[in-house]
Amino acid sequence: MSKPKTNDPEGRELSTTVWTALDRKAGAIIELTIKQLRNKTSTWTVLGVSMLLLVLLSAFYIDSVREGFESIDNDGDSVDYDGDGYPLGQERKYGSSDFDPSEYPGSGLFIPEGQIYYNGARSHTGNHTWNADGPSFFSGPWDSIRLEYLEADEPCPDAIDENLEDAPYSNWAPFSCLMENGDRYVQFLSFDGNGTLTVAEGWYAVYGITTERFDVAPDPPEAYIDEDGIDWDPNDPSTSQGFDDDGDCTRSEYPEQISSDRDDSNRNRIPCDVQWIRATDGSVIQIQPDMLVDEDPVDSELMGESSHRSFIIITGKIAFAMIIGIFLPLFLALGLIRDEGENGTLHYLLSKPIHRGEFIVYRLSGYLIFSGGFVLLMSLAMALVTIFLGPDGNRLGDVNVWFGIGVVTVLSLAAYGSIFNALGLLSPKYGVYLALIYGVYEFAMAVMTLLGAELVPVVSVSHWALQMIDAVVLVAWPDTIMLSQMATAFNIDSGIDIFWRPPIHTFGTGSPELAIVVSSMVLIAFISLPILVGQSIFKRREID
Amino acid sequence: MKSTPAIAFDQVSKWYGQVIGVNDVSLAIDGGVTGILGMNGAGKSTLFKLLMGRLRPSNGAVRLFGTDPWESTSPYRRVGYVSESEKMYDWMTSLDFVSTLARLHGMTRHEAEKRAEQALSFVDLENVLNKEIGKYSKGMRQRVKIAAALVHDPDLLILDEPLHGCDPLARTSIMNIIREMGSRGKTVLVSSHILEEIERITEQIVILHSGKLVALGNLHAIRAMLDQHPHRILIRCADSRALAAIFIDQKPVYGVRFIDSESLEVMTKNLSEAHQLLPSLILESRIPIYSIENPDDNLESLLGYLVGDA
Repeated sequence: MSKPKTNDPEGRELSTTVWTALDRKAGAIIELTIKQLRNKTSTWTVLGVSMLLLVLLSAFYIDSVREGFESIDNDGDSVDYDGDGYPLGQERKYGSSDFDPSEYPGSGLFIPEGQIYYNGARSHTGNHTWNADGPSFFSGPWDSIRLEYLEADEPCPDAIDENLEDAPYSNWAPFSCLMENGDRYVQFLSFDGNGTLTVAEGWYAVYGITTERFDVAPDPPEAYIDEDGIDWDPNDPSTSQGFDDDGDCTRSEYPEQISSDRDDSNRNRIPCDVQWIRATDGSVIQIQPDMLVDEDPVDSELMGESSHRSFIIITGKIAFAMIIGIFLPLFLALGLIRDEGENGTLHYLLSKPIHRGEFIVYRLSGYLIFSGGFVLLMSLAMALVTIFLGPDGNRLGDVNVWFGIGVVTVLSLAAYGSIFNALGLLSPKYGVYLALIYGVYEFAMAVMTLLGAELVPVVSVSHWALQMIDAVVLVAWPDTIMLSQMATAFNIDSGIDIFWRPPIHTFGTGSPELAIVVSSMVLIAFISLPILVGQSIFKRREID
Repeated sequence: MKSTPAIAFDQVSKWYGQVIGVNDVSLAIDGGVTGILGMNGAGKSTLFKLLMGRLRPSNGAVRLFGTDPWESTSPYRRVGYVSESEKMYDWMTSLDFVSTLARLHGMTRHEAEKRAEQALSFVDLENVLNKEIGKYSKGMRQRVKIAAALVHDPDLLILDEPLHGCDPLARTSIMNIIREMGSRGKTVLVSSHILEEIERITEQIVILHSGKLVALGNLHAIRAMLDQHPHRILIRCADSRALAAIFIDQKPVYGVRFIDSESLEVMTKNLSEAHQLLPSLILESRIPIYSIENPDDNLESLLGYLVGDA
């Protein structure tokens, strides 16, 4: 037998309480707000632009995934800077200069013995390797010419006289020619010869011996790409790891050329190693390599995951939090109440038994359900793109990060919505300008946060939203610190070390979970305060 | 125990800067249909906005069912308000519009839709309730607004210029609705600047002029007072001179003025007596009559009498 229904003195069922009535009013205003937003052209314009932005970003991502990751010469040693046919890496191995084309692997090393200095005797005789810096004459057998010039056995032009008083024949370029008396004119040239070198006033020359010469075949540039990989054993508890695969740091079998203080640039008193510092939970939090150790790893092994995460972080921070997060509220929230007043329809809603303060909250709720729904849908779509196209591995983290980005953006939408709505109420006439100025301010604070500023941007929604994304990323992918450190330490150009930083507002704990809690609380304050201000303004506003 | 009137103004004034909207108005209304008469700018809308908590009185106290409407929205449960504003949500259907506003009274969606259908049926819009409001005529739009104000069965209905801009058919329809509400025992306040409109709806009137309350009471009593004051009767006929000769000696007539050979203005200080006498005289004279008009039978003249300067 069913229980008889109990009614209040006015005959209403007790199920019809103040709360159910509030729910119904809220539901009606939320529904009306959503319908209104759906009926505005500007709404679909701004949503369309937002979608287009995400589609373009996805297209870039898909394009890069399809192309794969090409090997990159992270340390630049595959390049032949002096044009002698030998890449920098090979020149480093043999200790020859990559700035002087006369020095190359097998060309012999020049060891100076003396010089014809500016203010000393102008000539010297002997069997040497000569480095003539300025206009000079050489008399005697020309044993070998280290650089071949077509003009070397050609008669000298008239401009070169025997007094060497005129300007050099060709300014600042290696050159040689045959004088009428059988001597040679030389400038800016290295050569071997047994004879006398006479140098013009104001110039100098160095003479010495050259070590034995031998033929060395130039290595292909590819030999110096991805030639020094990351040597790290995660099971090895030692902090000193890393191995100089290409030998450009240790140089044990090659002549010394690079100063030895570079060998221990991480100052751990172990030359040519990489210091891997871990937290108590074993996660890597810092990587400090000595110079030229593990500096050219196999990019495809690291770039895939690192770039994938960078794409998600950049899209989350810039596209979602900074662009969509600021522009959607600017178009959708500014006029939530202001436009009703201007359109002359506000009285329909306010002549009902509903408090003006409640009314603001319900309007903002309607806006948030509409815009937040769109953002969550977009983040889900992006998650599907990256899950199916991302590098192999457990991509569950992608879902978590995209969901986190969606939630952070919804919080931003709520904060900016309540701020812009309050500005619209504060000044119906100039609210749009105030909102634009505030939007630019928030964007600037976001850029400052991205650049690493920690203090000034704290008075902005964007700063806390971006930090929250950093924290969400770290919770979902705890090894992101390691990837970021690897990018910095080993010159991996994935962008993760630029666009992601460990959250800073953790009261010194480094806990990303605490950062999420702190950021959420600050964002909730950013949402609530403008609502209270808006309610205070609206409550006192006469509606003529 | 003395009951609280639906509406009470106690020495209420409202200024817009240096401009007076309502000036020291005191009145109490409870039950029946009351017409608020006044020229444009007389303060009718300001009075209603004060009642609906849209404006805060500069002086005095406004009470809606005993509560200050600026401070509390609770009396709105018992009030239906039709604003003078012509703006509406044109993209909504009338059913959607009325049911949405019904839900703001705490009704469930189902209940709100049912009540909205009833309200729209009451204002004769049951056949077009799924049509967008933007496609409605002016009269239909006014009726939608009235339906939205009636949907929660209010005790007090406030209508600001509900007949403004409506065609004769719509006016008659809206007047019938107002009368019907009055006959159901509701308190109805309806404003207009056209005397004849109010006359067809109610006898109980409030007259405002320049923000001040200049008359309050029964329209017939006010009219009776007005009848004792000079009135003009404009007669268009075939021979105005002959007709003037007949009228000039009659008691209620104190003067005649020829406008042209076919138009005559008769001056009287007792309009009802003149109206009783003149038709029989005209019949006896056998002079063809084209029209008889009372140019002073309007709000301007009424105000002229009441305030002396209109």
